Amino acid sequence: MTATEPRSSARQEQGQLVEMAWDPITRIIGNLGIYTTIDFQNRQVATCHSTSSLFRGYSVFMKGKDPRDAGFITTRICGICGDNHTTCSHYAQQMAYGAKPPPLAEAIVNLGEAAEYMFDHTIFQDNMVFVDFCEQMVKETNPSVLQRAETTEAPNGHIHGYRTIAEIMRAFNPFEGEVYKQALQVSRVTREMFCLMEGRHVHPSTMYPGGVGTMPEPTTFTDYLSRLVGILDFVKKAVAMNDDVFDFFYEALPGYEEVGRRRVLLGCWGSWQNPDFCDYRYENMNEWGKAMHVTPGIIVDGRLVTNNLVDINLGMRILLGSSFYDDWVNEEPFVTHDPLGNPVDMRHPWNQTTVPVPQKRDFDGNYSWVMSPRWFDGTDHLALDTGGGPFARLWSTALSGLVKDNPYVTSTGSSVQISLPKSDQLPEMTLEWKIPHDKEGKPLSNALERDRARPYFVAYSAAMAFFFLERAMEHVRAGETKVFTDFEVPDEAVGCGFHEAVRGVLSHHMVIKDGKIANYHPYPPTPWNASPRDSYGTPGPYEDAVQDTPIFEENGPENFKGVDIMRTVRSFDPCLPCGVHMYLGEGNELKRMHSPMFGATND
Amino acid sequence: MGGIRVGKPDIRLDVSTHVPGIHEGNKGPYYKQPGHHEDGTSDARRSTGILWKKHNAIMKIMPNISPG
Repeated sequence: MTATEPRSSARQEQGQLVEMAWDPITRIIGNLGIYTTIDFQNRQVATCHSTSSLFRGYSVFMKGKDPRDAGFITTRICGICGDNHTTCSHYAQQMAYGAKPPPLAEAIVNLGEAAEYMFDHTIFQDNMVFVDFCEQMVKETNPSVLQRAETTEAPNGHIHGYRTIAEIMRAFNPFEGEVYKQALQVSRVTREMFCLMEGRHVHPSTMYPGGVGTMPEPTTFTDYLSRLVGILDFVKKAVAMNDDVFDFFYEALPGYEEVGRRRVLLGCWGSWQNPDFCDYRYENMNEWGKAMHVTPGIIVDGRLVTNNLVDINLGMRILLGSSFYDDWVNEEPFVTHDPLGNPVDMRHPWNQTTVPVPQKRDFDGNYSWVMSPRWFDGTDHLALDTGGGPFARLWSTALSGLVKDNPYVTSTGSSVQISLPKSDQLPEMTLEWKIPHDKEGKPLSNALERDRARPYFVAYSAAMAFFFLERAMEHVRAGETKVFTDFEVPDEAVGCGFHEAVRGVLSHHMVIKDGKIANYHPYPPTPWNASPRDSYGTPGPYEDAVQDTPIFEENGPENFKGVDIMRTVRSFDPCLPCGVHMYLGEGNELKRMHSPMFGATND
Repeated sequence: MGGIRVGKPDIRLDVSTHVPGIHEGNKGPYYKQPGHHEDGTSDARRSTGILWKKHNAIMKIMPNISPG
């Protein structure tokens, strides 16, 4: 069992447990539902099941298609990070076709992806996550905490301009708060930056395998640069504000470290290719993987297990466990050995066959359309999570210490230093994200730290965007304006792409036979995070993080909002929180509109 | 699709989005793309077919950056 150890407090008998469920919790693929039993006497969540009631079947209908179409089809998997799928699909295709895009094309893709990270993290953190931390929400769930916030000075007030923590919380209020409204503006500007590079948000129109169709004019890059400089003040203030609020929660609610805490089991597949190293050949994948501007890595209990992409690839296993599918182990394998001659497991995405079997949801049996991706380390099938994306990316980059070749981001082995130039209101600043530890010095993966990493990664993306812009403009000034390269689709080939979607690991595995797709399996972050119990009984990361989590909300069962559980689940960035449908045991059903409408009264 | 009963597809599964005979932007050979040079540089013909020579850089030492 690779899950988190149960917390020590004694469990009460079954009679005192209250069933609570939130379904659907988000608007993402796979309609996420969280079903819990809560022990109100011990103020703790007793059990948790995460379930998905939506079947997508991309892996089913990709079969037989023209491989060049893969990026344009798979982008439709997601309505907020579709371009990550396009990029990842093109990485996989470039491996299969043996194509290497020109350096300027890589810079353009990297700039587009940087804008996407900035956009998506901003809209999610400030317009979705902060609703759980805003004045109105805290007033309804923890009035004593709000009272204390009114009198607590904000340590970084000189940067963001808010005197007390309560003032920051008021700025988080949906529809009215200053930060909420600014974030909407910033997410618009960052989407414009994205469109300059990739043509259209969120399904790019100017990205192809082998390069891009973006016209590399000087103004393409200067338009991006002027917008980037324009949002820098916001980015710097966001980091300061997040630190203030999250530090305050630790101080005001002792023990809040335990909310959403799970064993440190993180995966990051790396982001932003370095064209000086990356040739998309599988044989050299370890080298160019380590040259990425966000280093891939698997972290267990705070230690780096590997940052070799070949090991990461070969260790992937798709388990069935509690999901609505039939097993495929008796089918013919597509790939028995990788291009290096290593054996490929039958449970690897290259060999997976999706055989859906719709059935009734049963929490003692099968209860989800999500399979259970795990990473096999030789002994255990690890239920890795992505920490919402930035958390794993920063941690992996910090531990590997390989990102050093640029003037903006430096990885030190225990932290990541991010330098941002002078902006309109604020001077040049160096921000430092440090690997979090609890009071006993153990590595800490919990709800607040996952949330805290997000604005730091926005700063990371902004800093790297400066670097990519400089590289791109060097090429343009030298007249090297080539942005695409020729390729032929082979009759037989395999390819894999490793990338980071906004909310974490993303891989695309493709097998081509007779010039058509024989097998195609995208593995985005949510199957990793929202996976149900696997064949070994190991719960998925959401389940593991919510199970045993302490409840700090002051409300009882009759007006319980479940804010601590929501903070835990949302810290993993399950896309856009939408309508919440709540079930309070014994047929007493409540329906209410949540997050986006929170604060808007219709009476 | 396992045991799920599905309808008859309207089109062949492997129908490509590419229609034969239509110019494919990314398809080689590279030299057939107007305005693109073998060495990775390009000229104004890349952007326009109208009086394109007049839109090139005016001196040889200048990079030839195509107009948008």
